[in-house]
Amino acid sequence: MRLLLVEDDLMIGESVLDLLRAEGYAVDWVKDGEMADTALDSQTYDLVLLDLGLPRRDGLAVLRRLRARKDRTPVLIATARDATAQRVEGLDMGADDYIVKPYELDELLARIRALIRRAAGRAEPVYEHLGVSIDPVTREVTLDGQAVVLSAREWSILELLLARPGMVLSRRQLEEKLYSWKDDLSSNAVEVYIHGLRKKLGPRVIQNVRGVGYMIPKSAP
Amino acid sequence: MSLPLSHSLRARLLWLLLVAILFTAGAQAVIAYRTALAEADVIFDYQMQQMALSLRAGLPVGGELGEPHGTKDEENFDFLIQVWTADGLRIFQSTPQAELPQRAVLGFSRVQARGTTYRLFSIAAGTQVIQVAQDMAARREMAGTLALRTVSPMLVLVPLLMLVVWGVVSASLAPVSRVRQQVATRQADDLSELNEDDLPDEIHPLVHELNLLFHRVRQAFDAQNNFVADAAHELRSPLAALKLQVQGLRRAADDATRDVAINRLNTGIDRATRLVEQLLVLARQQSNSAVGAKAVPIDLTTLARLALADAAGSAAARQIDLGLVQADPGIVMGHDEALRILMRNLLDNAIKYTPAGGTVNLAIRCHDGQTLLTVDDSGPGVAAEDRQRVLDRFYRVAGTEGSGSGLGLAIVKTIADLHQATLSIDRSESLGGLRATVTFTNVS
Repeated sequence: MRLLLVEDDLMIGESVLDLLRAEGYAVDWVKDGEMADTALDSQTYDLVLLDLGLPRRDGLAVLRRLRARKDRTPVLIATARDATAQRVEGLDMGADDYIVKPYELDELLARIRALIRRAAGRAEPVYEHLGVSIDPVTREVTLDGQAVVLSAREWSILELLLARPGMVLSRRQLEEKLYSWKDDLSSNAVEVYIHGLRKKLGPRVIQNVRGVGYMIPKSAP
Repeated sequence: MSLPLSHSLRARLLWLLLVAILFTAGAQAVIAYRTALAEADVIFDYQMQQMALSLRAGLPVGGELGEPHGTKDEENFDFLIQVWTADGLRIFQSTPQAELPQRAVLGFSRVQARGTTYRLFSIAAGTQVIQVAQDMAARREMAGTLALRTVSPMLVLVPLLMLVVWGVVSASLAPVSRVRQQVATRQADDLSELNEDDLPDEIHPLVHELNLLFHRVRQAFDAQNNFVADAAHELRSPLAALKLQVQGLRRAADDATRDVAINRLNTGIDRATRLVEQLLVLARQQSNSAVGAKAVPIDLTTLARLALADAAGSAAARQIDLGLVQADPGIVMGHDEALRILMRNLLDNAIKYTPAGGTVNLAIRCHDGQTLLTVDDSGPGVAAEDRQRVLDRFYRVAGTEGSGSGLGLAIVKTIADLHQATLSIDRSESLGGLRATVTFTNVS
């Protein structure tokens, strides 16, 4: 899952960045409103963590532009502005949720998970499909009831594919979701992780659509 | 005399008008009475004269007049007729009860008799004297009736007039009560403008001034609200950072990550400490300027040396060449602690935003009766469009270090204001970075 962190406070930014990365999210960090606009224009994110008091362009303006482009990316406003009027304005302008600084990291993570879950059209917190079940909170994976141990990247790829069964994701799409701008990626890294996943889950779960990408089928073959 | 309800415009108008109308009516009645009386005198005198003349023509010489027939007092306006002989004998009397003293004066005269005044006309007829008299009360009565007749329509019209005045005044004052209503029903924090339409010219300026006042108060209110919102943001951000840094520390899996987290936490605490200190400095300077502490002569050069010594440590840590390039003997009226804080903030700002190995210069110049304190740096400077905003509280130039409180220049500006000095931000011609200039005019 790839997140955009929009935060002008360097101390908050670097802490949030590290903590989110430790949770397995690919995170891009921008420090002003104009850069946030540019990033949102050029890249699809699974969630935007948006501060409001930003240099160059206010967070609400960034949000308004995003929604004006009919972009439905979930937006979680994280700001120190706590007046009710500002929360209402933020939510009415198209934000999906609002969290006031200083916040508990666990609450932030739970809200991020909930927003991503809802954006994928699911209510239940655990993904379960074709005998594979993954829990985004505990990061536990089971195959037919048996626990499977995955690396962080493998887990991320499985989560992406399992979130939208029947949808083919190209290698490039997977890379975009897995790596932020700062990460180096070797050209065949995705293939390596897919290979590892198929070894652990068996070949029937993840299918290769040649020349297009990878998918988890909607129903068992 | 204070009129009842004298604070009500309407009541005051009504009372004054009523008094004016009654006074006019009274004056008119007096004039009418006087005129009527004068006219009655002329008419009745003429009548009395004619009566006497006609009596003289028909009076038998030395003869008796006999008894008068049928006295018609009411109709002949109380005329009394008496005829006297030369030796003072009354030979005729029109009304038996009314006896008038004999008067030798011929022509018109007045006599007092039986408790009233009579107008008397005497005329000689041979050896006899004919006297025609009339009670003056009759004349006054007639004049009174005439005067009353003139004034009475007015007395009927007064209540009507009062009603009309009441209506007109009420209608004219309706916009005033509308404004009153608008003010009375508004919320305590509602400082929006009042409707100025349809107001009478006399009240319009008042409401207009009121609206201008509302506008000013609202601006002050908004500024205060903005400050509170900014302060909330600026106070929460370091706390949010601290909280995240603690959580980062808690989640650190190995020693290296833990060291990083501890370092971050330390910087976070330094930042929060600095913010609190700067806020206190700002509050103290603002209360100083509010209290109006007494200014004393201050030698800026001595103060500059102290400030440079204070800042030398942090400059050295960043390999920044910090120095005093010109020191004219500038004495200004001011407060030494405040001016030291001002210099310290300007120097700290310059040092903070200048890359390692750069230069920061402080100078004190005197010319044209002004003393200029300048701090130049070789840093990146501030774009022209941001220069005014950097003076705002909590404003930080985009992409700069998060360790600043955003209060440094706001503090400098507050202290400059306290000294009636101006703070300006330009490009440094000598070093290429930022130049901050404080211009003092109250030179000792």
